Amino acid sequence: MGELAVSSRAGDELVAIGLGSCIGLALIDREAGVAGLAHVVLPESQGKPGPAAKFADLAVPELLSKVVQAGAVKRRLEAIMIGGARMFTVGASMDIGARNAEAVRGALKTAGIRIKAEETGGNRGRTARIILGNEISSQLAGGERTSLMSLSSNGTRQTAKARR
Amino acid sequence: MTPRYNDMQLDALRELANIASGTAATSLSQMLGRDVDISVPKAFSLPLADAVDATGDPEETVTGVALPLEGDIEGIVLLLVKADGADTLCGMLGVEADSEVGESALGEIGNILGAAYLMALSSMTGLSMLPSTPFVVTDMLGSIVASVLAQTVGHGDTALVLDSALDITGEPCAISFLLLPNADAANDLLAPLGLAEPAA
Repeated sequence: MGELAVSSRAGDELVAIGLGSCIGLALIDREAGVAGLAHVVLPESQGKPGPAAKFADLAVPELLSKVVQAGAVKRRLEAIMIGGARMFTVGASMDIGARNAEAVRGALKTAGIRIKAEETGGNRGRTARIILGNEISSQLAGGERTSLMSLSSNGTRQTAKARR
Repeated sequence: MTPRYNDMQLDALRELANIASGTAATSLSQMLGRDVDISVPKAFSLPLADAVDATGDPEETVTGVALPLEGDIEGIVLLLVKADGADTLCGMLGVEADSEVGESALGEIGNILGAAYLMALSSMTGLSMLPSTPFVVTDMLGSIVASVLAQTVGHGDTALVLDSALDITGEPCAISFLLLPNADAANDLLAPLGLAEPAA
């Protein structure tokens, strides 16, 4: 929670296990083979200090700067969002997931990064997994796995539509 | 600034959790007519990411019963039961675990145990703590704990977790009992014991 990781080495795995209301935000430059993953917990920092990736408004610029440092080119970046579920179905104040998703979308728009695929909402937890040189996937508790983007170098470019 | 806790404060919180979970164990034992063991609770104050890992394997599927608190202390009591434990509990009550009735039964167990736990905490501290309607969810432990902590810790950077375990003797049934107070609430718990941090 609130952590981020970046890699440019094929075969490396970036994983955020058990995303409930949190968002796993991936920024990818497929041409450069660079990917970053941030575990966003809350929508806004409200000026509070904390781990950079914890709040959507800080996480997007932070992750952007880290992937660019690792060799990504900003205009080629694509974003994938995973998580933002509503784990507890009663109580309006508990829907942090939807607010997180909205805040990440807003911050990506501000940064000028397009969203390539999204696997958000619902009421089940997910695990976000980026395997560099292979694929980005979202996996629900108990198994069901959805591939969201192929990262293989054979040029196949396929993305799954966001499903709710 | 999130308060951090010294050893004496964590000891005091651990003792509160110990007595409270003992009370909950008694009520579980009465409900099922079985012996219940309790282990020494853990009290830890950790950065969010570490706090989730400290509660268990984040990928393991568990059933969680969350009881938001009402009264003088804000926070959430969270009971976590592994799949085999949920089966055991439901079996003892004569209901199917993977059913609506089973889920409701687990919610009710959570409600009763949570109420016993909170009543003990209340009587020790003189603070009112009442459980509101339980939410039951079966999912990855990490998803459940992280989502609850996002709510209770909010903009703080450390999570205070009081973690007790109840075990039904001779059965594969461990119930993890977590008290997750909101950012400032732990100080309120410590104040009646004379251990609150002086106002900065």
